[in-house]
Amino acid sequence: MNKEVFKSRHISKYIIPLVVILVIFIIIAASVGSAKVTIKETGLIIASFIPGINYLIDEASLNQQNVKIISQIRLPRILISVFVGIALACAGVIFQGIFRNPMADPYIIGVSAGASLGATVGLIIVSGVKLLSISSASIFAFAGAIGVTFLVYNISRIRAKISVVTLLLAGVALSSLISAINSFILIFRSQDMAKVIFWLMGGLTSASWQQFYIIAPVITVLLVFAGFFLKDLNLISLGDERASQLGVETEKVKKILLVLASLIAAAAVSVSGIIGFVGLITPHIMRLIVGPDHKALYPASAIAGAIVLLFSDTLARTVLQPREIPVGIITSIIGVPFFIYLLLRSKKEVF
Amino acid sequence: MGEIILKINGLGFSYDGNRVLNGLDLEIEKGSFVSVLGPNGSGKSTLINLLSKVLKGHEGSIKLFGRDIKKLSSRDTAGFVAVVPQYSNPGFDFTVREMVLMGRYAHILRFGSEKKPDIAAAENAMDKTKVLEFANKKFHELSGGEKQRVVIAQALAQDAPLILLDEPTSHLDINFQIEIMDLFFRLNRDEKKTVIGVFHDINLAANYSKSAVFLKQGRVFAQGDIKSVITRENIKSVFKSEVFVSKNPFTGKTYISPMFLNEAAAARDILGSVKTPGTFTSQVKRVHVIGGGGEASPVLTMLYNLGFFVSCGVVNNFDTDLDTAEVLQIPYVSEAPFSPISLHSQNSNLDFIRGSDVVVLPEVAFGHGNFSNLVSVKEALEMGKKVILLNSKNFKTRDYTGGKAARVYEKLLEKGAIVADNISEIPHLL
Repeated sequence: MNKEVFKSRHISKYIIPLVVILVIFIIIAASVGSAKVTIKETGLIIASFIPGINYLIDEASLNQQNVKIISQIRLPRILISVFVGIALACAGVIFQGIFRNPMADPYIIGVSAGASLGATVGLIIVSGVKLLSISSASIFAFAGAIGVTFLVYNISRIRAKISVVTLLLAGVALSSLISAINSFILIFRSQDMAKVIFWLMGGLTSASWQQFYIIAPVITVLLVFAGFFLKDLNLISLGDERASQLGVETEKVKKILLVLASLIAAAAVSVSGIIGFVGLITPHIMRLIVGPDHKALYPASAIAGAIVLLFSDTLARTVLQPREIPVGIITSIIGVPFFIYLLLRSKKEVF
Repeated sequence: MGEIILKINGLGFSYDGNRVLNGLDLEIEKGSFVSVLGPNGSGKSTLINLLSKVLKGHEGSIKLFGRDIKKLSSRDTAGFVAVVPQYSNPGFDFTVREMVLMGRYAHILRFGSEKKPDIAAAENAMDKTKVLEFANKKFHELSGGEKQRVVIAQALAQDAPLILLDEPTSHLDINFQIEIMDLFFRLNRDEKKTVIGVFHDINLAANYSKSAVFLKQGRVFAQGDIKSVITRENIKSVFKSEVFVSKNPFTGKTYISPMFLNEAAAARDILGSVKTPGTFTSQVKRVHVIGGGGEASPVLTMLYNLGFFVSCGVVNNFDTDLDTAEVLQIPYVSEAPFSPISLHSQNSNLDFIRGSDVVVLPEVAFGHGNFSNLVSVKEALEMGKKVILLNSKNFKTRDYTGGKAARVYEKLLEKGAIVADNISEIPHLL
């Protein structure tokens, strides 16, 4: 009997190729933009920032203006889009796992509605306030996302066990209520509507290194912590009862994962606005490629999410140059047809 | 006495105020194979769910291997108890191998991954359940019986000393039912696994398990070896169902057959007779049924359950009709096995006929030995009793006397015997 099949071959088979693609995309993304920098020079500039290989590069040969464009403008934005992509895809994997439903996305239990309301408040009512150089919109979006998720979670927890159906319904209901409140605020401040709508459509225009230094460690820590529960997610997909029979503290694990995934999604939303479809479609595609085992699906989706969002963001800032398109529009325009294609192609019922 | 591995005292549990278990006491010995039987709502599944910590918050105590289950984590419990439920499809499309390896969860540390012993245990489980050959297939692609075997492999990979079966076969075809029960039989016999199974099928339980527990309204109603527990009286009081308890002729094991009283019930609806079966009152007609070759049994059972006072005769010992009469505790006239009917028996039979209002002749075959039964029917007509003949058309095929019986039968028809075309017409002709 071939023991190999039991071993995790996912790393060499899927993760390494994905990482290579991501690195290539990063270099391409850093080279395109209004100022033309060649791929080769871009690669050298990026390498000059990487400890360990930077001594190989003669910094004097690099165009200082290009160095500045790449290091100060493009790289922070690229890296933030990488982290936001990772966060959205991983939150999607976790939510789909908990809900045993490939239609769940990171915003499913109210993150987007809460973030929208928070952003509206931050942009209109307390605009201009900054904390650790993060805009008030981001701070309030994060707080709103967490607040609404917390509320939805507590509503569905009333009957001792968290019920998935109650969670979904409470999420839908509360999201509608909050959207209504949001719209209500906006009628009184129609002069600010454009600002809010642009924020909601999702974008990474405000990316900066400061933002990156805050968001990257937060997302990393949450992702690693959630990563300890991947076996549990596999078992939970057999049903809560079966998972308990096999030894999972189902209720506890579900609570932990709900909190972690909501925090991850909220962190992503607070810097990028609402970017649809990355968190829904990336896990979906990766499941077709690597299979449903979360130990493979989670890391593979993370990198794929980074690739998808980086690709979309690069299109967003380059196709209508010098005008920017909100990246949420791009992800939906690419994502929806692809998603429908997948739906029609798959012979099985999705659920 | 073996080691007690499970000790339940005063177990109580309610769902939303609905009392499901109510003071259940039970002790299970190591190496036993116990069937837990009872109607829907008797608390069987709740018991299984409490033993596997799927449900929490019980009253009373459950001690697994001497340890209070409340103090055990889910992971520890899964190390002691493996549950085999009916298969259900997972949310995502895992392979068989992935599914079986999930059974090892309780043995793998939170920060660890599957090690060699885990893989070995999974392979061993797949080998026993014969799923190795499709280990790389997707679970969704398998047939029902194959899926169930994968779920069993998952539970075996858990390597727990106590196996709980939660009706793992009731949705499968008979061949798979037997195959799967054989597997648990072997696990119990060869690997000394203790098996506690919840079953709907009493015969399946009686055939495979060593002892049985009847649950009724959240308590143990009866417990012990199969023969002492699976009795007509217990089944009647637990399931409110009339059954016939006999032996499976192939295995000698206890075997029950439901009486299927739908025809009697239908007739009762029309007749409006609501008498308790077997109770005799002056208004109720007495019916005497001629027995032989098991032909009287369905008629006896139906009339008995309609509340008629029924008797039967003359039947040879070991005839099914005699078993039926004994089970129903109705009076009968019997004759030694394979012997012709004696004059004495014939006279007793005529006494019964004299005391009855109606005589029924089912599709009994006649030879020289029981020819006198037919003569008794003729005498019944002559006494002025109502006589009902079941299916007169095929009498020739039932005549083994060379036409002698047929001639008597012709006379019965001439003298005004009534003919019922099938058994369900009989009550209406009485």
